[in-house]
Amino acid sequence: MSETATPPPGTPDLPALTRESEEANFFHEAALNATWTGVRLAVGALSFAFGCFVFAYFYLRSLNSHGMWHPAGVKGPQPWAGAVIMALVVVSALVQYVGLTRIKASKKGAWQASAVLALVLGLAAIGLQVWELLNLHFFPGSSGFSSVFVGATPVFVIVVLAAMIWLETLIMRVRVIPAISFVEQPPTYAEAFAVQRFQASLSAFTVLWNYLAVVAIVFWVLFYLTA
Amino acid sequence: MPAADGTVADGAGRPEPNHGLRIFLLWLPVALVADLLIWFVWGPHLPPGAMSTSAATQQSAIKIMSVMAAPVMALVLVYGAYALVVWRHREGDDEDGPPIHGNTRVSVTWIGVTSVIVLSLAVFGTVELAGPAGAGAGEGNTPIWRPSGGTPLQVQVIGQQWRWTYRYPQFGGFETTSLMLPVGENVQFNITSLDVIHSFWAYQLGVKADANPDINNVAYTKPEHTGQVQVRCAELCGLWHADMTTVGQVVSLSAFNAWTATARTQLAALTKELPPYTLTYDPNAVAQLGKVFQKAGLSGAGGGFYGSQYPVQP
Amino acid sequence: MAIDMQPESDRQPGREPGGREPDAPPPPARPWWRRPAVHTALAGAVIGYLLGHLLGNVIAGQYSQVVNSGQNDYAIVLGYVLGTLGWLAGLGVFSDLLRQMTGRPVHATEEARDASAGLARYFRYSLDHKVVGLQYLVGMIGFFLTGGLLAMAIRTELLSPSYHVFSSATYTAIVGEHGTMMMMMMSSLILGPLGNYLLPLMIGSKRMAFPRIEALSFWLTPAAYIVLLSGLMFGGFPFGWTGYAPLSVQATQGADAYAVAFGIMGISLILLGFNIIVTVICYRAPGMHWGRLPIFVWAMLTTSFLMVLAAPVLVGAMYMLITDRTVQTAFFTDDLGGSSYLWENLFWFFGHPEVYILALPGFGVVSEILPVFCRKPLFGYKVAAAGMVGVTLLSFFVWQHHLFDSGINPDMRPVFMLTTELISIPTGFIFLVAMGTFWKAKIRFTVPMLFALGFYFNFLIGGISGVYLSDVPADTTEHGTFFVMAHFHYTIMGGLIFAFMAGLYYWLPKMMGIRLNQTLGKIHFWTMFVFFNATFLPLFAVGMAGQPRRVYTYARSLETLNDWVSISSFLLGVSILIFVFNFVYSTVIARVHEEGNPWNSRGLEWQVSSPPPPGNFARVPVVLSGPYEYGVKDAPPVADLDPPLGVISNAYAAAAAEGAEV
Repeated sequence: MSETATPPPGTPDLPALTRESEEANFFHEAALNATWTGVRLAVGALSFAFGCFVFAYFYLRSLNSHGMWHPAGVKGPQPWAGAVIMALVVVSALVQYVGLTRIKASKKGAWQASAVLALVLGLAAIGLQVWELLNLHFFPGSSGFSSVFVGATPVFVIVVLAAMIWLETLIMRVRVIPAISFVEQPPTYAEAFAVQRFQASLSAFTVLWNYLAVVAIVFWVLFYLTA
Repeated sequence: MPAADGTVADGAGRPEPNHGLRIFLLWLPVALVADLLIWFVWGPHLPPGAMSTSAATQQSAIKIMSVMAAPVMALVLVYGAYALVVWRHREGDDEDGPPIHGNTRVSVTWIGVTSVIVLSLAVFGTVELAGPAGAGAGEGNTPIWRPSGGTPLQVQVIGQQWRWTYRYPQFGGFETTSLMLPVGENVQFNITSLDVIHSFWAYQLGVKADANPDINNVAYTKPEHTGQVQVRCAELCGLWHADMTTVGQVVSLSAFNAWTATARTQLAALTKELPPYTLTYDPNAVAQLGKVFQKAGLSGAGGGFYGSQYPVQP
Repeated sequence: MAIDMQPESDRQPGREPGGREPDAPPPPARPWWRRPAVHTALAGAVIGYLLGHLLGNVIAGQYSQVVNSGQNDYAIVLGYVLGTLGWLAGLGVFSDLLRQMTGRPVHATEEARDASAGLARYFRYSLDHKVVGLQYLVGMIGFFLTGGLLAMAIRTELLSPSYHVFSSATYTAIVGEHGTMMMMMMSSLILGPLGNYLLPLMIGSKRMAFPRIEALSFWLTPAAYIVLLSGLMFGGFPFGWTGYAPLSVQATQGADAYAVAFGIMGISLILLGFNIIVTVICYRAPGMHWGRLPIFVWAMLTTSFLMVLAAPVLVGAMYMLITDRTVQTAFFTDDLGGSSYLWENLFWFFGHPEVYILALPGFGVVSEILPVFCRKPLFGYKVAAAGMVGVTLLSFFVWQHHLFDSGINPDMRPVFMLTTELISIPTGFIFLVAMGTFWKAKIRFTVPMLFALGFYFNFLIGGISGVYLSDVPADTTEHGTFFVMAHFHYTIMGGLIFAFMAGLYYWLPKMMGIRLNQTLGKIHFWTMFVFFNATFLPLFAVGMAGQPRRVYTYARSLETLNDWVSISSFLLGVSILIFVFNFVYSTVIARVHEEGNPWNSRGLEWQVSSPPPPGNFARVPVVLSGPYEYGVKDAPPVADLDPPLGVISNAYAAAAAEGAEV
């Protein structure tokens, strides 16, 4: 295709538009939107999944059948562990979020450091939660509360693990992107696309991870604070 | 329905007939005949009959809904049949149909009419539910719709895999396998289960309520005719769900009193073995109940099949 | 992972992940047995199952509950879960993820580069939406036939109340397998094959948004199918498809198969719906604005929202059932602080939207087909779309009408009665739209149209009988009987399956370039329509006369009706065999090619050749007018399939600017 035209306003200052690049741009734009839309939809679906357990929590609590929702004699999970798990996830989300503001100012190294730290904190939260579940000093079926606790926390762990895998791939991907690309338009479509897709994926991840931090706080309130 | 949009001459020069009027004239007799048949011929024989107040309520609900549904159904079917005959594609006619994208008046009318039908049905259903004390449906352990008058006759229905038993707390709490009710008295069924969820369904009485373990589910009715009652289980409860059937009797008050007096003395020895009457039973006592049944020469089917009911504590 | 990760590092304009690199030399081909496909997946599944089973025995072998009951649910559940993961790993689902995690570039898949993939690609983890659509099609027909055979077995047993073909244990297992198979698998019956295949074609895209998620959603379905059927080896499960606790907590290992299979299928539904929603929102061609979206796409969109939001609750409930059965939580055990009501609430909170997951795609298919064969625009396009949206919203607020007699929140029954009655208003729009479209139409009785008409007849009966069930007094007689069973078979078998058949006869020329034999199609329609009604219409009476659902014996007085129903159902089975014969005969033996636009449809999908070329459209089309402008004088063509340079960039630049302002 030798046919070319001047790019419309708003498109990056890149080599002249051909039919191929026009279509590539179209689908590239769609993919960026898909990442944006997809993560919000995923948050909706996850909210229904976690909501399932929150409903179970309040439903069983309100029924309190046989007075066995959370009877006085039955032990609960250890408060310190809950507080630390919640804090690890929240701090991890905050650190990553601060790193995100730095990468927008071309400080790629700062984000890489914050992302690695966030990854370590997230994995530590997973590890601590798994340790807590393996060292329960109460039986899962000893009360309604203990059932919901033992049921809900592994689900949270699995979702956090998935988020951490995503973060890990982002850390691997950013290595090949030059820092300057985050403030200046790269010279080729291929590089521009790679950067924009990384940015879209990163901001989508941030939405998910911040959401999971909120879920961590909600679970902490439910399972440790008001139980 | 879609108003005739003028009488435009078609290709052959014939005037376009008034389709709306024709459909209306076809529909009217069909709907009328259907409704009259439902009301006068079919209605009195609709299930579940009129043996009790709750059954009569259900019968009238089904009858009234049929009377409302028949014209709607007739309209769609008559319209459809008319359309398929009159507006079918003719050989050699390759033109497309008229480009009608919609008609606000028709749509608004349709939505209005269906909304009125539906809302009136909801109001009607609520009235029918509250009127005869819950219409025979299970009302949970704190019923809000109760029959007026004094304390109704208490009958406890205990479901277990795979049989029904009944306790009469006002007569010493004896337990039988046969349901016996007096005519003309309000009855309160207290329905519970010893193992899994069953559903107590006394067909002719129009009573259906789930039997949940550890939960008391209340249903009211008032038998108005004597006769037999088929009792079935309406919730899949395991292998012999289909065989969870018994026959109950509605008898005169004097016959009922005579029966309770006899049963009370005959079953006195068994009643002593039973756990004291409560609204729900701890299913851990199922094994104990089994012993009671054995003692009485009955073969209790409850418990045992699925192994341990409860999580085993380590 | 929630979000599909796009391969980044080797991206170039004009090439999508999984797409073929035009000038790249093909990689050295490995022998077929070393490339991931069904056989490696099976190997992975077997290894995974054995590992999981072993792990379960090591972990839980000494637990008192295992020792006492002699059944180790840990081993079964871990076996199923690891077996499923092994199945996926064997297919190569995780290869790209691992490459990304180790920082290696993700290449287009081997088979996408292999031009001569042929039939083999249908047995692989293919990222081409057209391949996935056909995989789904064959899979779904297979699942449907399995469920149908089980139904034949049920009707065989019910021929006599006293002479038993099966033991009650076998019969109950068959009932459970039939119900669960149909309810969980048929949720994807239309969205899986027709949705995945046609959606990009209908909105003018060359791909779905997340091809890996799309392929994964399909490959989970055979896993769920095998797991569910494997329950029969443990004697099945005795609680139907609803799995009411505590029966499901107490039942033998068949219940593990039920819970894991339903959970896997729930995940598949979430992924399927997720991909469709994002595709509809983000991948529409320029000019395909919301007012021009084909009505079938609206149906897919609303169904997908139901899937994405309701199925997580199903997965959660199944997970709770599994933890109750393995690690001994007490979610559903009343005297340990749980409640059997919790299961009923969670299950039906999914279960009612599920009913509309089954119904809405059918609405979409028939509404899509109607204008083509009426040669008229769809009457009240906005009403139809609004009806679907209304059904979607309301369906989250009606679940307790399944629990009118259960004793749960009895004071809330008037509210749920009202919401249930209300949902019949938007459902009724489907009939308003159909009747309006018939007005002065030129109806052509082609096979797809016949099935669409059959849909309306059946759904009318199904819908009206549903109103009876919404009324608490009437429901007290009808609940849990064959009346309910007849009602939902009218909406699902008479609705969904008829709509699926309509869609299949209509779109198979598009999907395979082959036309199904029309004479056989007409025989198929008439036998199916007659025997479907002969089977299920009497069941309303059977239910009203007092026959509860899922019984293997019944009152002697109902034997005649039951025999009539059973014989009709066998003839219905013969009708389905005619379909199978037609499908195999037309696609394998006769192969009558149909390349153009046989129905003279204005749908965008019909504007390209059949089957569509790789990439669907030579260029991104620019949509110029709605899909139903039949009979409109000087209506513009549906789309400009070869728009001049600059039009598309202007469109997305404008959309991007608009998005930025928002």
